[in-house]
Amino acid sequence: MNPENLKYHREHTWVKVSGKRATIGITDHAQEALGDIVYIDLPEADTAVEANSELAEIESTKATSSVISPVSGTVLEVNEELAESPEIINEEPYGKGWVAVLEIEDETETEELMDASEYERYLEEEAK
Amino acid sequence: MRVAVIGGGPGGYVAALKAAQLGAQVAVVEQSEVGGTCLNLGCIPTKTLIASAEALRTAKGLADYGIELNGSVSPNLSKIMERKDRVVSIQVKGIRALFKSWGVTLVEGRGTLVSPGRIRVEKREGSEETIEAEKIVLATGSRPARIPKFSFDGKNILSSDDVITMKEIPSSLLIVGAGVIGCEFACLFSEFGVRVLMVETMGRALSTEDAGVSELLEREFKKKGITLMTGVDVTRVEIGEDGVHAYISDGREVVTEKILVSVGRTFNTENIGLEALGIERGKRGEVIVNEKMETVVKGVYAVGDVTGGMLLAHKASQEGVVAAHNACGRDMTMDYGVIPSAVFTSPEISSVGLREHQVQEKGMPYRTGGFLYRALGRAHAAGQLTGFFKIIADPGNDRILGAHFMGAHASDLVHEVAVAMKAGLKAVDVADTIHVHPTFSEGIREAFGDLHGEAIHVPKK
Repeated sequence: MNPENLKYHREHTWVKVSGKRATIGITDHAQEALGDIVYIDLPEADTAVEANSELAEIESTKATSSVISPVSGTVLEVNEELAESPEIINEEPYGKGWVAVLEIEDETETEELMDASEYERYLEEEAK
Repeated sequence: MRVAVIGGGPGGYVAALKAAQLGAQVAVVEQSEVGGTCLNLGCIPTKTLIASAEALRTAKGLADYGIELNGSVSPNLSKIMERKDRVVSIQVKGIRALFKSWGVTLVEGRGTLVSPGRIRVEKREGSEETIEAEKIVLATGSRPARIPKFSFDGKNILSSDDVITMKEIPSSLLIVGAGVIGCEFACLFSEFGVRVLMVETMGRALSTEDAGVSELLEREFKKKGITLMTGVDVTRVEIGEDGVHAYISDGREVVTEKILVSVGRTFNTENIGLEALGIERGKRGEVIVNEKMETVVKGVYAVGDVTGGMLLAHKASQEGVVAAHNACGRDMTMDYGVIPSAVFTSPEISSVGLREHQVQEKGMPYRTGGFLYRALGRAHAAGQLTGFFKIIADPGNDRILGAHFMGAHASDLVHEVAVAMKAGLKAVDVADTIHVHPTFSEGIREAFGDLHGEAIHVPKK
């Protein structure tokens, strides 16, 4: 189940906002579709990222895929643990498998994102 | 017919053998060793060193294959270099034996053109000799280009020639120039545990390759811990107690044990008598030849690096074949239409034909097809997932415009496309050809299939 307290982007990423900090990761659906993740190319701290643009790049045994940022901001932290153990994303996409924390400029950006139930409906539509 | 060749590298020695095979009496003048840069300082020694690096990588990753290693693995540079010298020596002997077999005379010394039919040789032991020949082939090659601000010193600021004979593995290395040579050495040294940094003035590594290749290579560099700085230059270098300080144009300063300068190559056109004969040179100093590989002076041909263009051993050899035919009274022209090339990075890169940006610059209509190594069963079996196949074709007549591969065995795989292009086949001809399963070559078929949306092992779009 996709957690209720997160917002979802159509490119299968999630964001959790607390104050100016936005934690971003990929959804369970995304990790499932990608299969075993073998590498993630993490952004560098202080990099400016635009909403709907690439935040990181993931390589799985099946594909290489962009992690699309749901919001705009500046990279505050990246999950360094993923460099050594990218499989954490498969195991806990909503927990220890977070990708990066951005300092966001515009909190209203998240209003355009989906909530958990909207995202689930979106997944059903996509599967059709 | 008497033919004399100055320079015994892949251009010159092939010209000599071909001329001898066509019945000529042939002499080759070589100042150092037959095989030239390719065999003694370039292609072969580097590939031998890369084989050692690959062996080390395989050993370090044995656990992934279910093999237990009870002990440790580490590179021993003097033994690696010994192996390299042995490999080179075998190849050198091979060329010398072929010379003997075909009756080619090897004159060891430095040759200079005196007049259209005459070469003066300062022999290695000190004496002089004049060689007379009706036809002459210049194949003097090239050498590493230096940067005047910090020229090679053989100790701290190295050329690729110096690296080939290195005695100790440095702890860190700054490579100036992320072209073919720089990128190959970066992969090699990082495998040996060297901290590698690179500086490139262009916006990306391997800027003459397809952009897709550079993108994946740069990601692989990140994985290996190679730091690549693009769009910048080294403005100044200082040798300090703690290593070589390089000042980067963006204000950064990096300190490494050694610097390798790999910013291109300079043509060996000095003091070989070009001026005496009035042989024309181009803007970059290259010897100008026509499609028969003949210079403006009748009966004097030039082949290989010294003629500029792509600095590739196999291009030089083909030019040597063309020059030899023409020197021996046959009629042959050089066809540059299909020349595959490879970069022996880890993983390998290969290409033939046009890059996507070149197709765009020409304003040609085009379509691309692609396939990933990781979608191949063989790639998983071999544990070599990284890489892609990319094909560019004309959507109108379905002719193949170019192919760009990156991944395991890419340097060998490219020839299937080279043959198809040379034969003028359509993309669909390759897509319709059954390929062996399970092989890496299946990816080529799928990439050709993808051009027409007919690849099998791809998710529904």
